[in-house]
Amino acid sequence: MGRNLRLENLTKRFGNLVAVDQVNLEIEEGEFICFLGPSGCGKTTVLRMITGFETVTEGNVIFDGKVINDLIPQKREFGIVFQSYALFPNMTVEDNIAFGLRVRKMPKKAIADRVDQMLHLIGLRDWRHLYPAQLSGGQQQRVALVRALAPNPQVLLLDEPLSALDAKIRVRLRAEIKRLQQELKKTMIYVTHDQEEALSIADKVVVMETGQFRQVGRPIDIYKYPASSFVADFVGTSNFFKGLRTHDRVQTEKREFKISQRGSSSKEEVYLAIRPEKIEVFKYGEPPGDLESSNLIPGRIDVVTFLGAAVRLVVNVDGEEVISDVIEKEFEQRQLKQGEEVVLYFPPEAFIVYPAKENA
Amino acid sequence: MNRAETLKNASPPSTFVSDRLLTGIAMGFLLAVLIFFLLYPVYDICKLSFYQKGVLTLKNYASYFSNPRMFRSLTNSIYVSVVTMIITTVLAFFFAYGLTRTTIPGKGLFYTISTFPLIAPSIIQGLALILLFGRNGLVTRYVLHTDWNIYGATGIIAAECLYCFPNALFILYTTLSAVDTRLDEAAQSLGASALKTFYKVTLPSAKYGIASAAALSFNLTITDFGVPVVIGGNYSVLATEIYQQVIGMQRFDLGATISVILLIPSVAAFLLNYYLTKKSYALISGQARPFLQPSRPLKKWAFSIYCWIPCIFILIVFITVFLGSFVKTWPYDFSLTLRHFNFPSLGGHAPFWTQFWTSILKGEWQAIIAYKYAPIWNSLWISILVAIGGASLTLLAGYIIEKKRPKGDQVLYTLSVLPAAIPGTVMGLGYILAFNKPYFFIYGTFWIIIINIIICNFTLGVLSSIANLKQIDKSIEEAAVSLGANPITTFTRVVFPLTRTAFFSNMAFFFMRAMTTISAVIFLISAKVKLAAIEIIFLDIDGRTASANAMCTIIILLVVGMLVAMRLITGRGGLKGMSASS
Repeated sequence: MGRNLRLENLTKRFGNLVAVDQVNLEIEEGEFICFLGPSGCGKTTVLRMITGFETVTEGNVIFDGKVINDLIPQKREFGIVFQSYALFPNMTVEDNIAFGLRVRKMPKKAIADRVDQMLHLIGLRDWRHLYPAQLSGGQQQRVALVRALAPNPQVLLLDEPLSALDAKIRVRLRAEIKRLQQELKKTMIYVTHDQEEALSIADKVVVMETGQFRQVGRPIDIYKYPASSFVADFVGTSNFFKGLRTHDRVQTEKREFKISQRGSSSKEEVYLAIRPEKIEVFKYGEPPGDLESSNLIPGRIDVVTFLGAAVRLVVNVDGEEVISDVIEKEFEQRQLKQGEEVVLYFPPEAFIVYPAKENA
Repeated sequence: MNRAETLKNASPPSTFVSDRLLTGIAMGFLLAVLIFFLLYPVYDICKLSFYQKGVLTLKNYASYFSNPRMFRSLTNSIYVSVVTMIITTVLAFFFAYGLTRTTIPGKGLFYTISTFPLIAPSIIQGLALILLFGRNGLVTRYVLHTDWNIYGATGIIAAECLYCFPNALFILYTTLSAVDTRLDEAAQSLGASALKTFYKVTLPSAKYGIASAAALSFNLTITDFGVPVVIGGNYSVLATEIYQQVIGMQRFDLGATISVILLIPSVAAFLLNYYLTKKSYALISGQARPFLQPSRPLKKWAFSIYCWIPCIFILIVFITVFLGSFVKTWPYDFSLTLRHFNFPSLGGHAPFWTQFWTSILKGEWQAIIAYKYAPIWNSLWISILVAIGGASLTLLAGYIIEKKRPKGDQVLYTLSVLPAAIPGTVMGLGYILAFNKPYFFIYGTFWIIIINIIICNFTLGVLSSIANLKQIDKSIEEAAVSLGANPITTFTRVVFPLTRTAFFSNMAFFFMRAMTTISAVIFLISAKVKLAAIEIIFLDIDGRTASANAMCTIIILLVVGMLVAMRLITGRGGLKGMSASS
């Protein structure tokens, strides 16, 4: 068994405020895990308890079989990459990277070799004598990344490392971090509020809300089978309908949907969630006849937003807004445009059903 | 591969000092210093004022308020402080307005000249006014041929206005340059006249700054000792009355009573200032300073002339004292001489320096440099130690308060800002009461003076350290810690280098204060330990005005020399690349 990191009923309270509420997680060596959640959900607090910068109120942080709650941060040997880069402005790139090696009193030669290796890793060899202020944000974060990696930490923790960067650089650096992780096979824990980032980078995503883990799973599972309406809403985009379920029918305020997730014979209040790309859009009067007729609903296209490969439509259905994504090719073929009367088709198997109580 | 091996074995050093333990020790040390050297003396004063022959009583206060001469010192103090406050605030406000809201030429020059009073003892204003308007004043005697002279309330107010001017200006300048000028532009674009904009927008947005500048001027005036002692004549104020009672009549009880009475308005003004400064900073917007429209010619001329007025007065003060120290007999014989720099034998002895100069000089030069200049060497030596000690202690206190935030940091913060509320004379007397005991071996040595100056000026040092440390992102320190650095390495390799510039400017501030302060240390000097700034007063009282001027000139030159040296140190070397970082 590798050196796993385990969170056991981990809890953090600030006075009366419960920031992290009894969370449990097993992180295996070499795993790339991502904490995803809106701001204030406690994801950074979990990270800070793992680093040792925040004390644990209850529960345990266990590394390699040992409880490390009271171990000072210096002793944990976890590398950290900060949102603000946190490079030492008074030191050159080289000195920044060497810092962790020098405090370990490594031999000069070994330090020089390691710094070289690290600079090579990020392709910034020529920049070694520059100061952080002379680098761009992306370059600074690369330096911060290898500075944290230089002492060969057991675990690398990244606290929203890309949030301060431009969209383009963010995507590039994201790929670079992923590549590094696969190359070095290092356990990485990554915190972000950007769902796209989380889904694209991690082996395993932990979705957090109000101090609790709402769902832990592979990115694709999180997206396809969100465990709660919160996850369905937070990860990706979903359309929601509230209604009463009996058998395979859900009666909403204005209409009735057929669904494939059957319920019991007694009425039950539920939420239906459906992803925009699952909804089909046809020009009015053109839908094929073999579709479930109760799930065909007329509407009018209010807004058309071009997203690149897909086109996002906001369709007005009896005053309700329904978001639907169609691929660009279909959009052209079906000659959809703003103001057009359309028919939406909601496939019964595309609905995910949540009991309404969970959101109470 | 053995590189990986090396890395595996290279764990952080095992002899680790706990961060909490270190913080605790530092915090305990600072608290002990502040309690012992700040609270204890003040407590002793309060105690003495309420006791007579070991009995708790209000008799001291009764005798103070029933003695008309003594009671007058309170009304006098309040009168000169209020008048100074009003004049200074108004003058400084329009000066700051000219510097921040108009496009007059020479702003840098105006600003620089207006800071001059800070580099000299407050007494310089008094000396200059006496040379110009005193009994043998150049203007009164020579130009106007009048018997009127400036001694008394007029002189105190005039001198204090000059002394308070830069202090009030700093606050108002900050306020006016921070308040968004686009508000003014918005008002004008909505059709408000310039005057209406000023009354309705500019003035209200700067109200806290104005009130804060006023409170500070009041506080500085009511606690000042140097000015009233040279120019006050028979006009007695609280600060001088304390000295009179204690040193003149050995009435420590009455001195303590007056101290407590002086504490009330000065603490009130301090609290008001403190509260208003917080409010004022809340109004400051982080917006970039927008472009300033060119002022109309009339406005430009009016403000240019206006700004020259205080600057000219300040320049006259410095030129007068400077000249006064080089001319034979002011105002009768203006031939130049250096003889006033050959001070009468002041006695005293400077540790280390006296031996040093005796060993390399002979004859008359030895007498002058080694003995007569002893107070100057003392002042210089003390100032250097105060600069190092003060800047270090305040940085440490600021670091603990801002970055470590242990339990009880609020107590440390309160004690750290408290010294500004306590008048120097009160602190001086408190030190005598508290430490003039045989077992306090530091009493009567220059160590007590060093401690006193550091404590008296602790507030500004801590506040500027905190302001500076605030700019260092918390994660920079955490980065160092996560890389395995212990608290001491983190501080010396990361935090200190980033605060170095602020540290040096704090050093300059402490040095300046140590060279120029009078009010507290006048109680602490002894036959052996004398100070240059205090000698100005004694020379002046002895009627050796020219030598007093000469001593003042020397102090100014030393301070200026130090400022230039600081500039050279901080301006060069080791800072490249840092200036661009924000």
